[in-house]
Amino acid sequence: MSGHGNHIENSIWGRAILMAGAIVTIGIVAFAALGLGVGSIKHDAYDEAKDTYYEAMDDPTVTQSELDHLHHEEIDAHLSYLTYWVAGVTIMVISIIYAIFLGVGGFINSIQPQEEESHGDDHHDEHHGSASPIIFCFGVLLFLMGFPEFVEGLRPLLSQGGTFEAGNLVLSTIGLTIIMIGIANWWREDLPFIGHGEQIATSAPFEGEHIRKAGLWVFIMSEVMVFATFFSSYLRVRTEWCTKWAFDNGLENGKPVEGCVSQSQIDLFNAGEHVTGDVVMTASDYLRPGGAAGTGDFWTMLPGAVNTFALIISSYTIVLALKTAKAKDWEAPKGVLRHLLPDKKTAVRNYLIATLLLGSMFIVLKLVEWSHLVAEGFTVGTSQGSIFYVATGAHGMHVFAGLLIMLYLVFKADTIGYDEDNGQGIEYFGLYWHFVDLAWVVIFPAFYLY
Amino acid sequence: MGEHETTGIIESIVERLPGNKDIYFWNFIVLMVFTLFEVGAVFFETVPGTEIRISRFAVWTILVVVGIVKGYGIAAYFMHLKGDPRIYTRTALFPVLFVLLMLWGIGLSNPEAITELPSWCTPDWDYATSR
Repeated sequence: MSGHGNHIENSIWGRAILMAGAIVTIGIVAFAALGLGVGSIKHDAYDEAKDTYYEAMDDPTVTQSELDHLHHEEIDAHLSYLTYWVAGVTIMVISIIYAIFLGVGGFINSIQPQEEESHGDDHHDEHHGSASPIIFCFGVLLFLMGFPEFVEGLRPLLSQGGTFEAGNLVLSTIGLTIIMIGIANWWREDLPFIGHGEQIATSAPFEGEHIRKAGLWVFIMSEVMVFATFFSSYLRVRTEWCTKWAFDNGLENGKPVEGCVSQSQIDLFNAGEHVTGDVVMTASDYLRPGGAAGTGDFWTMLPGAVNTFALIISSYTIVLALKTAKAKDWEAPKGVLRHLLPDKKTAVRNYLIATLLLGSMFIVLKLVEWSHLVAEGFTVGTSQGSIFYVATGAHGMHVFAGLLIMLYLVFKADTIGYDEDNGQGIEYFGLYWHFVDLAWVVIFPAFYLY
Repeated sequence: MGEHETTGIIESIVERLPGNKDIYFWNFIVLMVFTLFEVGAVFFETVPGTEIRISRFAVWTILVVVGIVKGYGIAAYFMHLKGDPRIYTRTALFPVLFVLLMLWGIGLSNPEAITELPSWCTPDWDYATSR
């Protein structure tokens, strides 16, 4: 899309650089407070709990139940430390990525030659095709081609072993640079767009509809297929696993299940004995109360549950942003909300910021939860860990990609603004965001609750 | 939030509800309540305040029913498929056939679907392991 309408001074892009600076400052402060501040206090508590436990292990006067209690305290202290440390690091890392994304995009556009001001006599309302998506996709192609070497190249930089070879980073870095150029160019084309000249499909089946919207729906459908592959794989392995659910079900139904429940176990169960089996631990066994791992309680389920609510609320805030942008006779609310939503332009921006914050919280809580699962032994090295981390990680990547796009929406809402004419930009992004929510509607019960 | 107003039984119920709130607000409330219900079904082993045990079948049923309701709420109202031209609903439903085939073909019907794939469609595991 080559959008036209408003004349955009190059200086406006400088605000993107300022926003990037503000974001990275927030990230560093959060890291200092959570990761270094509270994190170091929690680390000391963890060290103390660990020392107490190890000393107790060597003390013959300590009973087994006391030892178990100390062990639980050590685990709790470890998980508590991980919560703050991982939250602090994650906030800082995503803030840096946000800042790079926004800052570099803004910088590239701020140094472009200044465009002449439109006088309305050169068909600026006409829409033209854009090369930006193709540039972006080419960058993605190069980045992914070089990705295995890129990871190898990063290992020594992150003290993960190996020898540093700069050549490993070249292809993906070129890809990332081209991606940034494509995105910056895309922004430059979209920012002045005031909603006039939206391309309309001229033939069936989408005749009369906005081409961008139809294209987005086709994209979403391809995403449905991506997530369907994860679910079909999960279904395949899940039906083969002897989970606690499958084991208990076999006992209660009185039917032996090969490799899971034997007739002798059923006989013992029928005789009123407590029967245990060699069951496979899924993520939900670690997270939900009553799970086979015995670690699940209110707190382990909290991050997943909060994330579910966060996505639903963020779906609603993006709807409110669009509704406000499209409203012809919008009025500021009464009471406390008037300070947050004083005028239409600010209200749209703040609804988008709320969506951005909720999405960011989703990523932070997800990584905190992952760190707890890994600490408890649920790693990617097992088939149940592999499908869990790949499926929920792919969903997390979709959320994160959406957040990067939302940064631009916030920038546009803060500078040019959205109204009833160009509000469809929020609508089309909203479709993607709701799809991410929809995917979570299936992922959450399948991986976290069942 | 679509460009087209939606009409139907749910919309007529919403019009009668107090507070003069729109369909998006009530859809949001329904999604929140059903999520609470979903989490509660797994969290509680018995119905709160009673000795009635929540069976695995009941949990399963709740998860599926809540998933369908939430999916409908998001797709129909937040993604405004209900108010938009039918072509968008048809587009949305187009991959369903392939998804069902995939869930059945890989997920449920073929026990060797993952472990016994022919060599021409499996990655070079030795290469992957040596890296």
